Amino acid sequence: MADVIFSDVQKRFGGFTAVQDLNLSIQQGEFVSLLGPSGCGKTTTLRMLAGLEFPTSGEIWIGDRVVNDLPPGQRDIAMVFQSYALYPHMSVGQNIAYPLKKRRVPKAARLEMVAKTAEMLQLTPLLHRKPKELSGGQQQRVALGRALVRDPKVFLLDEPLSNLDAKLRGNMRAELVELHQRLGRTMVYVTHDQLEAMTMSDRIAVMEGGKLQQFAPPQDVYREPANRFVAGFIGTPGMNLIDGALSHAAGRWMFDAPGISIEARNLDAAAKPGPAAMGVRPEGLTIGTGTLAGVIQSVEQTGHENIVVVRLGDDLRMTGRTAPHQLWRPGETVQCGIDAGMAHFFAQGPNGKRLNRPLSSGSSTLQESKPTPKEATS
Amino acid sequence: MKIRTIAFNIFAWSIVLMVAFPLFWMLVTSVKPQSELFSRPPTMLPESWTLEHYARLLFETKFLSYFWNSVILSTATTVVVVTIATLGAYSLVRFRYRGRETLAFLVLFTYLLPSVVLILPLYLMLVQLGLSNTITSLVIAYTTFALPYALWLLRSFMAGIPEDLESAALVDGASRMGAFRDIILPQLLPGIISTALFTFILSWNEYLYALVLVNSDDARPLTTGVMNMLISSFNIEWSLLMAASVMMSVPLIIVFAFLQSYLTRGFGAGGVKG
Amino acid sequence: MLGLMLIAPSVLVFCAVIVYPLISAIYLSLFQIYTPTLEGTWVGLDNYAELLATGKFWGALQTNLIWTVGTLTLQIIFGVGMALVLHQNIWFRSLARSLILFPYFISTVVAVLVWKWLFNDLYGILNHLMMTAGLIDFPIDYLGTMPNALVSVILVGAWKYFPFVVIAVLARLQSIPDQLYEAARIDGAGPIARFFDITLPQLREVLVVIVMLRAIWDFKEFDLIFLLTGGGPVTATQTLPLLVYKEAFALNQMGMASAYAVIMMLLMLAFMILYIRRTKSEGS
Repeated sequence: MADVIFSDVQKRFGGFTAVQDLNLSIQQGEFVSLLGPSGCGKTTTLRMLAGLEFPTSGEIWIGDRVVNDLPPGQRDIAMVFQSYALYPHMSVGQNIAYPLKKRRVPKAARLEMVAKTAEMLQLTPLLHRKPKELSGGQQQRVALGRALVRDPKVFLLDEPLSNLDAKLRGNMRAELVELHQRLGRTMVYVTHDQLEAMTMSDRIAVMEGGKLQQFAPPQDVYREPANRFVAGFIGTPGMNLIDGALSHAAGRWMFDAPGISIEARNLDAAAKPGPAAMGVRPEGLTIGTGTLAGVIQSVEQTGHENIVVVRLGDDLRMTGRTAPHQLWRPGETVQCGIDAGMAHFFAQGPNGKRLNRPLSSGSSTLQESKPTPKEATS
Repeated sequence: MKIRTIAFNIFAWSIVLMVAFPLFWMLVTSVKPQSELFSRPPTMLPESWTLEHYARLLFETKFLSYFWNSVILSTATTVVVVTIATLGAYSLVRFRYRGRETLAFLVLFTYLLPSVVLILPLYLMLVQLGLSNTITSLVIAYTTFALPYALWLLRSFMAGIPEDLESAALVDGASRMGAFRDIILPQLLPGIISTALFTFILSWNEYLYALVLVNSDDARPLTTGVMNMLISSFNIEWSLLMAASVMMSVPLIIVFAFLQSYLTRGFGAGGVKG
Repeated sequence: MLGLMLIAPSVLVFCAVIVYPLISAIYLSLFQIYTPTLEGTWVGLDNYAELLATGKFWGALQTNLIWTVGTLTLQIIFGVGMALVLHQNIWFRSLARSLILFPYFISTVVAVLVWKWLFNDLYGILNHLMMTAGLIDFPIDYLGTMPNALVSVILVGAWKYFPFVVIAVLARLQSIPDQLYEAARIDGAGPIARFFDITLPQLREVLVVIVMLRAIWDFKEFDLIFLLTGGGPVTATQTLPLLVYKEAFALNQMGMASAYAVIMMLLMLAFMILYIRRTKSEGS
């Protein structure tokens, strides 16, 4: 049963359209990320769900009700803000108790629920402090506590980790995932960090320019991006994207670009000859063997692998991965190859649709990628 | 300490003392006995001290009733203005509706209007309402020039409160006004205090409106009262005047002593943010 | 909608006591009205014609401009200077700040009384001090002759209102990041260079607003000049606001007074528009 539904939702601010043609259906208990660059409409979407903005057209459902006209307090939701939005003049305990107070929960019950929530988030010793006396991580947990204490139907989180330092962020990510598994509640999570979205979500809704680009589990978004934008946005280091042209001769498709000529396999019926783009993830570029001559530009050693940038031909740079012991030096020439089985092709334009059918899960390269079973859809 | 620092400090303080001298002189004059007042050359520090002028002022003139009028007048104006301005500022900052920008501009525009312009029709209007010569008429009149500034101040204070706080309160189940009461007002308190102080001072010091609108001693506030009572073409009672000046400034000094930080915060918020 | 309801009382006040009087003033200016009885006859634009033709208006305008420019300049120079001084860590800094603020917060009535006493030719301390210092031989009549009267008024105005500039500039000074100065020092800038290259540009925004506000408020200042000189000697310090008051309540010509008032407003409006346009274009 779907817990949250966006049906043909549009949001305009004067002449500017922030969200267009949004159709999204979130299942009960799912952890869904709204992912995209700033200005893509993800925060607006979340705020519409919260009731802090109202859609210009379309319907929003929570559970079995249309909530378009309901104020935020009556939607059975809770929200964690990017800035935490803790009430500065109230203590931690009062902050967490506030939503209960608004629902006229009697004092004794309130105190108990606040105590339990504080216990769960290790906030008990801090209950009497004011927010400004707490560290960033502690403040974030108070914000979480305020959201959790009511046990709402849907949790909304607006980039809650972006103000934390890197190490803390990693810890909180794991804690949030654990929390989700324990509570089993629907969570809608806004972020611009694709790593966060990939590691935490059941499904990711990638947005750009106010439009939904793809809504699928992380592995699908990674391995079968719906269009060029999603392909380039997901994955670090990013996918190599090369502009060129597709041609069709003697039953075979070829992709040509300065410095590269490669067979295009697996194209679907919609493919036509003409300008197109090819996308290959770093793991699809073999360095050391192959038919293309390249010059090493830079080598970054991360410890468990090397990120290598190679220049092929005059202008073309591509990024690849190698095992840590394979050390090249900038300026050296190497042979490189592109695994045709890992190449995606996209129509022309920044949001060009993917032209090839889903790739097989195995790969025929030297790289270490193990065949990963697809995520079971719920 | 370096010579330069000491020299600079002395320089700075000499200027401060020069600026403050008139006030010092006011105080000194008010405690000089009448005989010493007109000595030539005048003495810098009084040779003997007396409180006789203060006593005369408080017990033999209408000073106290003027003082009381001013207190009522300024307090009433402050309460009215701050209430209206707080609600108005909330509306201007947090809501969206047509004409909102025009209203904000109008606020600025009212600064252009010389009080001399507004006085004439205002006077007529108050006469017609049967309110001439009353403290109420002054409260109404003072509200006219105090409100724009209060709105402007409160608006910038309100803009400094993060919007997220209100959103969080709404999500937590508060109504719009509930969020205002629980979350915004406590945050706004320093701003409200600043604005209240400014409004009080503005009302306390106002002269022209009091001059035109009130002619009877019952409703006369301090500013016109003092000028009226102590200055005639024949005899200017300087010692009484200085004593009266000191007394008139006493509330302001009290305000200063305790709440200086609030006053300067008001200017900071009204100015351009860094 | 709730938003409209909240702003309603403010709007009501505005309409009743600002918009209405404003329109009335314009309306009244088209009549000749005898103040005590409020009887009037229609004269159309005659008031304006007469106003522009007499020397009274132009004289008052000139005086107004001299007063405004004079006192504004002093307010800004002393205001900025004092703010810079108070920004440093001098002894008992908060006490110094309080003392500097005093002139602005006391009533104009009090300020005028004190200065009149200081200016007194027989018993005033100012004459005494200046004679003792050897600056003058005979006591000066500060308020009764020209150009003394206008100069005195300008100086008292500067004394009373410069703290406003001090506070605003000080608040801005305190928000200039230290790092800007540190970077300038590393680049080799001395204190004077740092003032002109870092402090002044940062102050520009505040000063633009302050200058406009003070110019407008000084231009329409009534209380100070009225109480200090009454417009005298004769009409030497009579500015436009004083002229309006005189027409309305001394000469009992409320219609004419309204005409003066309307012209004043138009002048200030013109100034504000030109000023905003010029500073906007300079700024961008």
